[in-house]
Formats: sequence, structure tokens, C-alpha cells
Amino acid sequence: MPEPEPSRSPLPSAVGDDLGLGLTIPGRGSVDEAGRRQVHPISPLVHGVGALPIGFVIVFAMSAGAFGRWGLSAGAVIVLLLIALPLVVGAWSYVGWRNLWFWFDEDGDFRVDSGVLTKQQRRLQLSRLQSVDVAQPLVARLFSMAELTVEVAGTQGSRVKLQFLQLADARALRSELLARAAGLRHDVGEAPEEPVATVAPRDLAVSLLLRTTTAFLLLLTAVIVVGTVWSSGWGGLVLALFTGGLPVLMVVAEFIKYFNFTVSRSPDGLRLRFGMAKTETRTVPPGRVQAIEYVEPLLWRHWGWVRLRVNIAGVGGEDSGGQKEETILVPVATRAVADDIVQRVLPGLDLGALSWTTAPERSRRRSPIQWRNLGVAWDGSVFATRCGRLTRRLTVIPHARTQSVRLTQGPWERALDLASVHVDSTPGPVKVSGLHLDAVAARTIADEQSARAERGRSEDRSIRWAAGDDGDDAGP
Amino acid sequence: MADRTNEAFTSGDEWTPVSSKLTTARRLLLGLAYLLVIAGVVALFVIGRVPEFVAWTGLAVALVGFIWLWWLIGRRVRSFGYSERGDDLLVTSGIMFRRLVIVPYGRMQLVDVKAGPIDRWMGLTTVQLHTAAATTDAAIPGLEPQIAADLRDRLARRGEQRSAGL
Repeated sequence: MPEPEPSRSPLPSAVGDDLGLGLTIPGRGSVDEAGRRQVHPISPLVHGVGALPIGFVIVFAMSAGAFGRWGLSAGAVIVLLLIALPLVVGAWSYVGWRNLWFWFDEDGDFRVDSGVLTKQQRRLQLSRLQSVDVAQPLVARLFSMAELTVEVAGTQGSRVKLQFLQLADARALRSELLARAAGLRHDVGEAPEEPVATVAPRDLAVSLLLRTTTAFLLLLTAVIVVGTVWSSGWGGLVLALFTGGLPVLMVVAEFIKYFNFTVSRSPDGLRLRFGMAKTETRTVPPGRVQAIEYVEPLLWRHWGWVRLRVNIAGVGGEDSGGQKEETILVPVATRAVADDIVQRVLPGLDLGALSWTTAPERSRRRSPIQWRNLGVAWDGSVFATRCGRLTRRLTVIPHARTQSVRLTQGPWERALDLASVHVDSTPGPVKVSGLHLDAVAARTIADEQSARAERGRSEDRSIRWAAGDDGDDAGP
Repeated sequence: MADRTNEAFTSGDEWTPVSSKLTTARRLLLGLAYLLVIAGVVALFVIGRVPEFVAWTGLAVALVGFIWLWWLIGRRVRSFGYSERGDDLLVTSGIMFRRLVIVPYGRMQLVDVKAGPIDRWMGLTTVQLHTAAATTDAAIPGLEPQIAADLRDRLARRGEQRSAGL
């Protein structure tokens, strides 16, 4: 059954409009008789242009004098690199483009056929969809193009990237994917959005500078510089270059990445938009958040700021595409705004009502600084832990998302009759650990948490969130 | 106090130990690894570039290390145990760093049964449980092949009854 044309939303959404730089290429990828679609035919050109900076870098690196050695004039090499490289990349991309097809099959699964030498046919079960991202890398923005990343639960290779679609087409495809995953009719069009929070660039910059490690390194740098100048021992400046340069680079990188961060709510889930050079849109469907962490560095407390980090199956963690990525819901926000955002992904969460089981006083001999803040708590639907003194951390995991429970005890904990409870979540930045609790109490908590996990699962209804059925085809 | 701490890791359940053949297998592996160490120490004596007392110290350290590891393997293998409860599986291990993993049957994504060359020769297998969390780490080494196969089938069956998505 051939699918109808993707419905294009009649009105463009108000938030996060196209950040293209003017060039708009009309048209779209062709659709064959079986309803299979292609990405936009301009994609090879985008890839080719995208290779230009690499050419420049090589030219720059070689300008140190390698040209002469090869008996080539510098001009010839530059022309060769700056013309040939994009041409080769573009040609390769063209062949890839000809072989890339995506469509929805009769069972409602999303199918992607790709590959030039090695053919790959992928079938994504939309009931296991974790997130859909629309991103505009800098080069793609030149042409008002966007790439779409589809993430389903699974391990390696479960991520599909479609490069490139017109922004409107990418949006339409995203809403179609999300609507199908939610069990709705797939031609409902783009879901309306309602802004929840925005991060001012000034707040972002200040917050990044005041993170505990960064602030410490910057302070250390200042001390080194002052000490070096005062003692005229110039060797310290090299050290200062490291202790000062590294955090500054990290702050700048994160500032560019999370620039203009906005969180908005749509029936598809939470929509995150951010980025300066590369603008990204990430949609987190409800019920896909596996664990949440509130991070509160010491120097943020003056403003009551927190950062929200999350685990989403298949996104972030160590094993998605080999890249370690921190998945966050908001880089910095006041506690009230953060709680509001959390309410959208874990409705009914009431952290204030939790009663905490704290680490016993003897744990001070294991962790003299953070012991006062150590503790775990739980209610009918979530398990929570807190730790840290300088940077306070609070983690929350729903019972329905608990994968397994671990009890660990090192030699020092053993001497003090303490043990730690860890609740395992899918790979991601959030680690849920209740540290240094009374050993016997910890065991009881672990046993009970396993039982709660089992119960929580049977009560969970969030897999096909919009249709409200039991999510019976949700997984293995 | 020590009893109370032990209780946290051992209480309440019927623990099945792993086969004592695992001790032999691991000591065999230790012996093989020590062939290299011995070769190194012998080289110290033969080359003679270093003072003799260094070589003797090396030999003594290697010997003490061997005895200690030999003893440690026995204790470590005895520390392994698993317990099948109504709704979850418990796996415990470790002496210095003790560990108890509780995996609800409904969360198991797959069950691996595997055996290395020495294990195979000794007739031992490892059953490993995987959940969607990479940190779960629930492996039971040193099981007789028949016991391992039965355990795998039981676990898979229970997992299927309670199957769930992420």
C-alpha cells in the first residue's frame, strides 16, 4: 500500500523557525512508484561544500613547506585540494544518495534501505522510537536544509540519519514519525508547541563559568599567573595555558552548543532547540526518559540554578556511535522552572513529599565531606538518591525504568558496616547510586526496589502514550 | 559487626554455589600466566646485568604473589553464588569488593551462555544476563554445561512471561 505524500503543515511553527542563511533550493527528493522516498537531490552538493573546510585545514597544515618537497607549485596543490576534495566527497555522496530510500511499510514500520558497496536494509519499529532530532549543521543552513536523526531503543546501529531534507520536509517527517509512534493517525500534521523555558545567553555563560571544576581551574590559573609574574619564573605560564585554556575551550564549546536553548511542550513530547553554529531540535517523547539528575554546583546556589541531565535509551551514553554525549533537558534553569520541565516528562513527581533514608553518622569516616547529603528515598512510582556537597546531585528513576539493582561494598565500607545501592538505568550520564548506607538497610532497600521495579513495569502505560493502549508490541 | 555486614550479602535466600572445578580452571590459568613471570625472572639471572639481590627480590615477590593469588582464587570462587527467587535472580561475588546484583526476570533482554577454551576443556560454562542497562553485570561463571543450559532455559522462560519493553 503506497503511503500518501507526507502532509505538510499548513502553518509553520512559531518557535525556532528556519535559521537558514538565505539560499533556498526548491524541490524535494523523488518518490518512486512503491511510495519510497529519497532525500533532497541537493544533498551531494551540501556534503561537497561541507568538505571544503577540511581542504582548507589540510592546505593550512601543509603550508609549512611541504609543497616544495613534492615538486608541486603551492597553487596547484591548493586548487587540487579545494576543488578535488569536495568533488570526490560530493561524487561519493551522490552514489549514496541514489541508493538511499526510506518509506513506511504496510506494518507501519519505518524502513531505510541504504549503502553502496554493502547494502543495508533497516526496519525501525516505531513502537520503540526513543527520539527524533532535526538538526541544521552550519553547511546545511546555507541551503536551508536539515538532517533528521531517528533513534530507536537498541544498541549500536539503531540510529538512522537522513541527510538532507528541506527543513519543512524534515519537520513533516518528524511529526509523521512521532504521530505514528504515538499510535495516532499519521496525517495530523505538526503538533502545536507551547514554550516552557528559554535560557538567556548571559545566564548560560555565567553558569558555565561557575561550574565547580571550571571555576576551580580558572581560580588555579589566576593563582599560577600571579605566582609566576611575582616570582618571574616563567615556566608556570605553560601550566597556566593548560589549566586556563582547557576550561575556557570547554566553556566556549558548550556555549556555542547550547546557545539559545529553548524548551517547549508539544503533544509529541518535550521539544528542545539549541545551537549557534549547528542548530538542533530534539524531541523527547514522554515516557522515554529513563532517569533524571538535578546537578547543582556550589556557585550556582546563589541564583538557585540547576542543570537537568537525563538518560534516554539509545541516546548519549558511551555506546551510541562511539561518541560520548551528555543528554540534557536544560543546561541551566531555576529550580522552579526545572521542576516544571520535569513535570512534563515525569508527571506527578513530588520530590518534596519524599522521606529520605540518610546515610548513618559513621559514614562520615568514609566520605567526610558529602556524608550529610547522602540518602535515598522512594514513593509509589520513583526511586531517588542524592549525593555531593560542593556539587549537589539529585537523581530520580521511575520504578518502571529500573533495569536491575546492585549492592556493592568496598573494604572501607565493610569495616564501617556500610554498603551502597545502585539502581541500573540505560547507558547515559545519570548514575543512580545511594552511597554508604547501613549495610542491612541497604540490602532491604535493594530487595524492595527489585519488587517495586517488577510492579512498576506491570502498571506502566506510557509506551504508546497518545493511544493509551498497553504497548503490547513494545519490546522483546 | 562482620556478621551483620555478611548478612546484608548472604541473608535469607538459598544460594547455589558454583562448581569447585572453577578453582582448578582459574589456577591453571594462573599457572600459564606465571610461565611468563618465571621466564622474566630467569632472564634476570641469566642476563646478569642487574645486581643479584634484585633478581632474588624479584623471585621472592613472584613466589609470594603466586601463593597469594592461589589462595585468593579459592576464596573468590567460593564467593560466587546465585539464587533464583520468585520474581528475580540474585548473583553475588567478590571478597574485597563485594557485589550483589538483583535482576528482575522481566528486565532480562538476553541470556548468554559462553565458555572459553580452558573452561570448555574443564567442562565449565558462564551464564551472563543482560538488561537494557550496560552496568548490570550479572555473570555466573563455573557452571556445569547441563546446569547452565537448564538455568538459561528457566530464565528465558520466566523472562518471556514477564516480557516488557524498556
